[in-house]
Amino acid sequence: MEGTNQLAAVRSVVRRTPDRARRRVGWVDRNFARLAVLPTTLVMLLVFGIPLLFSAWLSMEAWSPDQTLFGGTFAGTANYEDLVTDPEFTGSLILTLKYTAGVVAAELGAGLGIALLLNIDLPWIGLFRTLLIVPMMITPVVAAFCWKLLLDPDHGVINFFIQQHVVWLGRPDTALLSVAVVNVWQNAPYVAILLLAGLRSLPAEPAEAAQIDGASRLQMFWHITLPLLRPYLLVALLLRMIFEFRSFDNVYVMTSGGPANATMVLSMYTYLASFVRFDLSLGAAAAWMMLLISLILCGCFIALVRRRDAN
Amino acid sequence: MRRKRTERIAVYGALIALTVVFLFPLVWIVGLSLKTRLQVFASPPLFLWWPTFENYTATLSRADFGQAFLNSLMVSAGAVSLSLIVGVPAAYALARFRFAGRNVLFFALLSMRMLPPIAVLVPMYVLFNAFGLTTTRTSVVLAYTTFSLPLVVWIMRGFFEDLPRELEESAWVDGASRMQAFVHVVLPLIKPGLVAACILCLQLAWNDFLFAAVLTNNATRTLPVLMAAFSGGDTGTDWGGMTASGVLVILPVIVFSFAAQRHLVAGLSSGAVKG
Repeated sequence: MEGTNQLAAVRSVVRRTPDRARRRVGWVDRNFARLAVLPTTLVMLLVFGIPLLFSAWLSMEAWSPDQTLFGGTFAGTANYEDLVTDPEFTGSLILTLKYTAGVVAAELGAGLGIALLLNIDLPWIGLFRTLLIVPMMITPVVAAFCWKLLLDPDHGVINFFIQQHVVWLGRPDTALLSVAVVNVWQNAPYVAILLLAGLRSLPAEPAEAAQIDGASRLQMFWHITLPLLRPYLLVALLLRMIFEFRSFDNVYVMTSGGPANATMVLSMYTYLASFVRFDLSLGAAAAWMMLLISLILCGCFIALVRRRDAN
Repeated sequence: MRRKRTERIAVYGALIALTVVFLFPLVWIVGLSLKTRLQVFASPPLFLWWPTFENYTATLSRADFGQAFLNSLMVSAGAVSLSLIVGVPAAYALARFRFAGRNVLFFALLSMRMLPPIAVLVPMYVLFNAFGLTTTRTSVVLAYTTFSLPLVVWIMRGFFEDLPRELEESAWVDGASRMQAFVHVVLPLIKPGLVAACILCLQLAWNDFLFAAVLTNNATRTLPVLMAAFSGGDTGTDWGGMTASGVLVILPVIVFSFAAQRHLVAGLSSGAVKG
């Protein structure tokens, strides 16, 4: 039996443990769970708790990098007011929401299609399952500059295929589309493998029963597969929303937010405010706005997982 | 029978078309990396040529590429080891014991993984700066734990839950302490999980750009930061060099990801879907 060796090993360790050590062990045993989560809690406080609290404070200050850490002056909600009245920020917020919605919709549509195809049992299907997830593994920065080369107006292969001279990243209407394509290309496979895992775990009986009753393929998909797949679709939807909402790498490499703010997503706006203009107080305020929106999405995700676990 | 056969052909046709569409960008980029400067800009583009490896030898002999490769390796390894050492006991406790604050820890871990990195990065930059940590690799390792620690805990928790309780319980009955049972009985059985968590974390750390872009300088920058510098602004004329270095950056990730393919689903869905 698996584990027999381990049990023998632990017996010999126990034999070698002196009594004095065992008494000390009693205290450790009683508090084992608390001690086991202690390091994680400390690291989380250090890299997550403290920075977030500090950023909340920073966002209510007028602080500049030449001042000492706590040398700023209190500004109240001034930074937040600046943000809400800045058309560049509100524009960026609306753009990010639209971008997220569009990209996630495309990813779910493409992902579901791919998952349905990959779920058909055929010889060599494993090869396709492997090949189709490759884009997902590519370093986002590398993916973005590869697409930048593909979309190059003069020497890019895409303009060669369509035999037109389109300056993809230089026009406001096509720039956003180009940036979105990279995300969809990388993450539709991600959605596909999540949904494929879902499809593989669906019970076979409802489909068999429907087949006996003479349901058509489309009817079966619409009335049986899709409803059963709903929890997986929701997980994929929320996860993709959370991750697209923070899109940064492809925007940074391909357009840096331009042309004319056409691709200025919130991460890019916050980055420029914080690390180019070094207005870190404003950056912290923008970061908190992003946090709140993400927190809502994250709350939905947790509620979803809880409900599934409860069932 | 006949209908089945045409259906099969249609499915294969669709699959092949999809694969071509999804892999073409990558194949084309690999192709560019195997072309000379003249061939890269040939018009119309060359679809057949005698490959050259000059771009790869040029990239590999660049001092900044070697340094960035080393930096990437160090910060990724650092973040993964730190997350494993700190996170694995926590994952075990979450899977096996009930304790006060368990749900809070759950929620905090999940939000840590889900919240936008830029939101942590802004205050982190200011704090690290005040303590003289910016532009050091340590700062990047600490920043990376914001995503690798939750990932480790989530993946490992799943593995611990799948392990039968009876083993540890019989070890406890034999007089082993919780710690002894964990180290000598549970950990050896969980090795595949450790490998999976390790690879998925490595992938995320290796691919990160935002944290490293803000927290490093020319000496400590990682590969993605160097790649972005290559391609910043105008794409320039050294497409062969750019694509060759890009291929070298993604190659290790792809190889490692295939090794952990079985565990990809659980890792990607933060434990919401079991693979």
